[in-house]
Amino acid sequence: MKAAVLIKQVPDTTAKIDISGGEVDESGIAKWSISPYDEYALESALQMQKDVGATVVAITLGPDRASKSLVDAAAVGADELVHISHEGAIGSFALQTALAEAVKRVGADVVLAGKQAADTNAGSTASGVAKILNWPCVGLVSKIDASEGEFEATRSTVAGLERVSVSSPCVFAFDKGEDKLRIPNVRGIMMAKKKPVQKHTMADLEVDASNGGITESSVTYPPQKPPGQKFEGASSAPEVVSRLRDEANVI
Amino acid sequence: MTVTIIAEQQQEGTHPTLAQMVSAAKGLGGTCKVIIPGGSGEQEASNISGVDKVMKMTGECFSSFDSQSWSSSMKNSIEGTVLLAATPAGRELGASIAAELGISVIQDVTSISPGIKLERPVYSGKAIENLTTSENCVITIRPNSIEAAEMGGSAEITSQDSTESIRLAVLEAIAKASEKIDVSEADIIISGGRGLGDASNFEKLEEVASTLGAAVGASRAVVDEWGLPHSMQVGQTGKTVTPALYIAVGISGAIQHLAGMRSSRYIVAINKDPDAPIFAVADYGIVASWEDALPAMHDAIKALP
Amino acid sequence: MRTLKGLYLSGCIDIMGYEALDFYDVDSLLTDEERMIRDVVRDWVDSSVIPKIENACREGVFLDEWRQEIGSMGILGAPLKGYGCPGLSYTAYGVICRELERGDSGIRSFASVQGSLAMYPIWDFGSEEQKERYLPKMATGELIGCFGLTEPDYGSNPGDMVTKAVEDGDGFVLNGAKMWITNGTIADLAIVWAKLDGVIRGFIVEKDDPGFSAPEMKGKHSLKASVTSELVFQDCRIPKDRILPGVKGLRGPFSCLNNARYGISWGAVGSAQACYDSARSYAMSRIQFDHPIAAYQLIQNKLAWMLREITKAQLLAYHLGEKKDSGTWIPEHISLAKMNNVDIALEIARVSRDIHGANGILDEYPVMRHMANLESVKTYEGTHDIHNLILGRHITGIQAFTREA
Repeated sequence: MKAAVLIKQVPDTTAKIDISGGEVDESGIAKWSISPYDEYALESALQMQKDVGATVVAITLGPDRASKSLVDAAAVGADELVHISHEGAIGSFALQTALAEAVKRVGADVVLAGKQAADTNAGSTASGVAKILNWPCVGLVSKIDASEGEFEATRSTVAGLERVSVSSPCVFAFDKGEDKLRIPNVRGIMMAKKKPVQKHTMADLEVDASNGGITESSVTYPPQKPPGQKFEGASSAPEVVSRLRDEANVI
Repeated sequence: MTVTIIAEQQQEGTHPTLAQMVSAAKGLGGTCKVIIPGGSGEQEASNISGVDKVMKMTGECFSSFDSQSWSSSMKNSIEGTVLLAATPAGRELGASIAAELGISVIQDVTSISPGIKLERPVYSGKAIENLTTSENCVITIRPNSIEAAEMGGSAEITSQDSTESIRLAVLEAIAKASEKIDVSEADIIISGGRGLGDASNFEKLEEVASTLGAAVGASRAVVDEWGLPHSMQVGQTGKTVTPALYIAVGISGAIQHLAGMRSSRYIVAINKDPDAPIFAVADYGIVASWEDALPAMHDAIKALP
Repeated sequence: MRTLKGLYLSGCIDIMGYEALDFYDVDSLLTDEERMIRDVVRDWVDSSVIPKIENACREGVFLDEWRQEIGSMGILGAPLKGYGCPGLSYTAYGVICRELERGDSGIRSFASVQGSLAMYPIWDFGSEEQKERYLPKMATGELIGCFGLTEPDYGSNPGDMVTKAVEDGDGFVLNGAKMWITNGTIADLAIVWAKLDGVIRGFIVEKDDPGFSAPEMKGKHSLKASVTSELVFQDCRIPKDRILPGVKGLRGPFSCLNNARYGISWGAVGSAQACYDSARSYAMSRIQFDHPIAAYQLIQNKLAWMLREITKAQLLAYHLGEKKDSGTWIPEHISLAKMNNVDIALEIARVSRDIHGANGILDEYPVMRHMANLESVKTYEGTHDIHNLILGRHITGIQAFTREA
């Protein structure tokens, strides 16, 4: 069995985000990491490596710096590494098409990804890749038990948790996983650097790297919050609640 | 233009987000078609003002959530721009529909206006992305970010049966574990301090937390004195948290506590001492005893549409 | 009071993840692998040490999960090659020490003793059988080692030690006592230096050997999350194959100490960074006279001094690492770095405590803990003064340790 893990390199969640000229200023980002939910997907794939002898292929799409996330994946045990290089903005469909093509080329039977990336916070990739491959998708997964060609997964729904079964080939999108993430081992790090990376471009995957129907995009700081307001007495509670809804948009 | 809304699935009636999607569609102008995937609620949907057509979908694949077979069964019924609520299921289905149609999906927008101009928070709210897109796309809208449309419509209802088969089987529902949300991962945290008077009063915070889907935190003083788990502790020696909303109840706001929560996006403080330092960092301060203010707040939250 | 909120909003005060002070980009001189190792250890310290260290200190325990996790990271005996050891550069070893000690000197001490004082002598002076038997399991943390040189009456002057070994039939019999032994009580084996026919030799004593005990020393105000013990040998009998065949005399223990001291010169930088970090963040958020105290010149002066000393210490440690890796070092180079870096780290801890005002004495902040730890670090592995004398001898050619000419 071959398990492909889609990992995205994002600014570490603790990084300060500076914006200049309508774009995030990447030079100010001190640390890049594998997006947190992708790490749970990777951990689950590594469990499959142990339990059913799966070969784990880490696939990333992004600029040169993103190859570091493949080395990080190799350091914890990924067997094969694939880097689809691409600079700049890209529409969701083009991105998913490229990833799906890479999944086909490595011959994976199952795809694991995080439910959403920590930078765009979108959550489209796993489901879109599943559609392009015409494989079923199970979202918000926290645990997978794999046997050859069959999976049982725990997923979260509005009603609570449920166990679902699904056959290979299929796609899983990870929520926070039940398994603790493994700590990399320095020997793994030393070997990881030497592991070959298969490089692809959008052109050799035959993907039109357009930005979909998006004609303009820019990034700004969130609006300044209004100055703090103080209310007297418990009777002001409903007023505060409605401001949290309408002004702050947080509930 | 034409807008197709895919309603959030609901056992009975319609999900509260549907009227918000309709309002967004009306803002864009043009006709508005609502697709109800399985379940019921077509009648309620047709009564929302601004809805032109309602199509209820039935079939085996709607027995449980399977984004891929759902999107396959809908593809021929979709016209124009597609809107969904940015719930977990809505996002997964929206992405699948977009890929089915070979168009872009823009997730979790908080503002939508003709053009089509969109705003969405990125980097966990540390930045806002502003987008302009063609009408040929799928958009998911964050629940409660748009005023709901009113009732008073009477749209035509049709139904369509799908022959798509479901490709995953639900084996069992696992009773929702009463597992508490961890403060370091929560979007909303409600924390208590010594002002609560007694550890047993944390139950009151739990009640509000369960309504909000929030985690419960605590100041160091009560963790130490009342023997609460250290995992709840917010502050210098506890967790450093940055939720969208932090509600501090009976916490005076010692510098050590502020160190752990001051970067929360919005801070609400409830304290009876008007000079408590917590008010210096609060966006909304309520000077009142928590015994009065917390139930009032809880009622107001429950009363939200 | 609005000033405070204004500062938070403008992002002047941030609670972003730990970003190490690295004013001169010294870490850019590291290799990619060394930086990756740094990040792994740094993340581990953030997630597994800092949230637990104060409690461990209060209870006076070294958590067993730390042993396991340090073992599974594969950083023990970092610069040793073969026998399951990591085979990293000395610079990588230094970086590991720095990151561990940012958490706590006790954690770094655990790793120093295991790697430099217990694994290293087996690796350098042990027989093939000894290396095979102990090193692979010590590298993973399955076996813990300790190092017995110092005695109750012989600290800076180990050459006059009184612990003795006597050959007896098919083994050796040890008598005497060692003191201030990090990891002693939790150790599976001890590297013990004792006199055999008047010559200092190294012996491997296992925890179950008859006549051996390792009672824990209690009542420390420093290194509270580290185990410190006595080693007691009362007619302790060990088999013949436990002597380290490869070394005689003080060169044995001293070569171990050189490596451990080298690690300390990096480790102290970690402590200093933690104290600086806390002082800066506290000064930015503590309001007195309507302004953050960071806005006052006396505080800025202190912070600037810290920055200056830490930057110098980083450069010293890095360059010493280069010399270790290229084999161009002499022990005096290590003495200078150990002495200087611990000295400035301790002073930075004290100044940091000062900036924290009364809050600085609380365990809400790491500074008092680092300060108390560093008092030990200043003394162990060659006291500050002894290192001065080592340098004095190097400068003048005249030894001043003893009163004899």
